[in-house]
Amino acid sequence: MKSYLQLKNEGGRVAIVGTGQTKFEARIPGMTYYELAFQAAKNALADANIEPGMIDSVVYGIYNDLFERQIMPDTYIHDYLGMYGKPGTRITTGGATGGYAFRAAYADVASGLSDIAMVVGVEKAQDCYDWAQGKTTPEVLKSIAYSADMTWEFPLGVSAASSYAVLASAHMKKYGTTEEQAAMVSVKNHGNALNNPFAQSPMRITVDDVMSSRIISYPFKLLDSSLYTEGAYVLIIMNEKKVREIGVKDPVWVKGIGSSNDKSFTGLRSSIDKLGKFGDIADLRNHYKAAEEAYRMAGISNPRKEIDVAELHDAFSFTEIQAYEAMGFCERGKGGLFVEEGTASMGGDLPVSPSGGLLGAGHAVGATGVMQIGEIANQIRHKAGRRQIEIRNNNGLAHSIGGPGSSYCTVTILGGN
Amino acid sequence: MRESTKKAKEVLGRELKSRPLESLIDDMILKKITGNPSVLESEKYFEVPDKMVMFYKYSYGQQSRFFKELKDNAALYGARCRKCGIVYFPPRAQCSECYSDTEWTPVSNEGVVVSSTTVWYTTSEFFDRTPYAVGYVRPTDANTAMLQRIDLKGREFIEPGEKVIAVFKRERFGTVSDFWYEIKE
Ligand SMILES: [Zn+2]
Repeated sequence: MKSYLQLKNEGGRVAIVGTGQTKFEARIPGMTYYELAFQAAKNALADANIEPGMIDSVVYGIYNDLFERQIMPDTYIHDYLGMYGKPGTRITTGGATGGYAFRAAYADVASGLSDIAMVVGVEKAQDCYDWAQGKTTPEVLKSIAYSADMTWEFPLGVSAASSYAVLASAHMKKYGTTEEQAAMVSVKNHGNALNNPFAQSPMRITVDDVMSSRIISYPFKLLDSSLYTEGAYVLIIMNEKKVREIGVKDPVWVKGIGSSNDKSFTGLRSSIDKLGKFGDIADLRNHYKAAEEAYRMAGISNPRKEIDVAELHDAFSFTEIQAYEAMGFCERGKGGLFVEEGTASMGGDLPVSPSGGLLGAGHAVGATGVMQIGEIANQIRHKAGRRQIEIRNNNGLAHSIGGPGSSYCTVTILGGN
Repeated sequence: MRESTKKAKEVLGRELKSRPLESLIDDMILKKITGNPSVLESEKYFEVPDKMVMFYKYSYGQQSRFFKELKDNAALYGARCRKCGIVYFPPRAQCSECYSDTEWTPVSNEGVVVSSTTVWYTTSEFFDRTPYAVGYVRPTDANTAMLQRIDLKGREFIEPGEKVIAVFKRERFGTVSDFWYEIKE
């Protein structure tokens, strides 16, 4: 792995130069997935001030074919965006789809295969419809449940929530994390979303509201859980040579990327296997590994002091607490205390998820990780509007995770000039 | 008529032996729409009922022995790596740590809950069984844990660390839901 410093010395860096999105909403029945992608791409190209013809390649982040009701949806978006003639590929890695799509596009540009690439994260979700129940949600859950191993886990009646809830239960048992502490994450992120005009669930709520909302999968309650969202988010990235050539004023450099996948058969995770030094089922071991790698590339030795702002993947409130620890924002087992002390709040020392995260801004799966990277890019270049964080050390972090038991993880570190 | 066209016509006549299963679902959906025409909001956008349906018969491959023992003998089997000795449960034919073959080995019906959750909301297929607990259970003589149902017996939650014992359905089909765990009193 080349360090950021080395890339900087060689002039081999890659920058984010444009972001664009649609509003994140529960359902957008007036637009197809390619129309959503088009709107976000148009906004991103305008923000980057470049023409569609200048794009060399596109990476699509689209999670679930059953959501889109379309196998190979990327190929139709590629056509709709007028990208025919250029290479286009799709990444699908569960909730981490957006983060991994960004990684693939980064590799495209950093390798020299492309000068300018576009990352298109898009998702429909609520076209799924259970005709027998006359409802959307059970069918949305079903389309996700099909990602459980068909032989050993699907027949038992598992869901995305249950898959992450067992990790949370283990964390509670091992470290004494409480449901109230998790509720604080939900209060914070729903509140942060009030400053995000594109957010799905801006809400002023209390810990009591969260605690008294109905249980979905213990210890997760309804307000601990992100909702299903439709929307698109697009990033334009380019190599350092193009940045100079075009004269981009506020490029946001990719300083570090670290990625790691843990065992998807969660029960196989043990403290004596190859990720054992990072812990067991209670710890997001691959998140520790991904962060460690991203920090090494970026040259960050004390993340708690050096990271100004982070976007963490709070599909469930407990997961954000576990992620504080894995990202090195606090000591192992002290994630609950970290949110309790207010460090992660907007006025705190290390604000987490100013966008509102998945709980507040919404979880348009393939677009989510792209949105969170875009949020950090806009924070770094002081374009975050009402939710702007003070940037002191020029470092922001975006975390993208997914899969059974959070088996996928990729971490991105961004910084300005 | 060309020979190839004749052959195609011949096949056409005998290919479909019965009504396609999808049409049963179509009938059901059509009935729903007749009862509720408001699903088509053509003023703002045009919305149509649809489905993606696939049917399968898939193979357990080299994992089949586990299901045969479960179905025929109400016995739980794991797999021990011939080289590094890890006992996998659920079993796998090859060791993912050292790439050696494994051998079948019976594992204890007694185990420990590694972690669990109580499911209150889920897909339609399992909704009538809620609330139920699922959790990872490690048999006392295995190195890894398998997801399984754990009987709540009136509790709200099954604590990690609880000792459990496997219970087998009387009628078994060769699926993972042929057994479950109960708290060992
Ligand atoms: Zn082995």
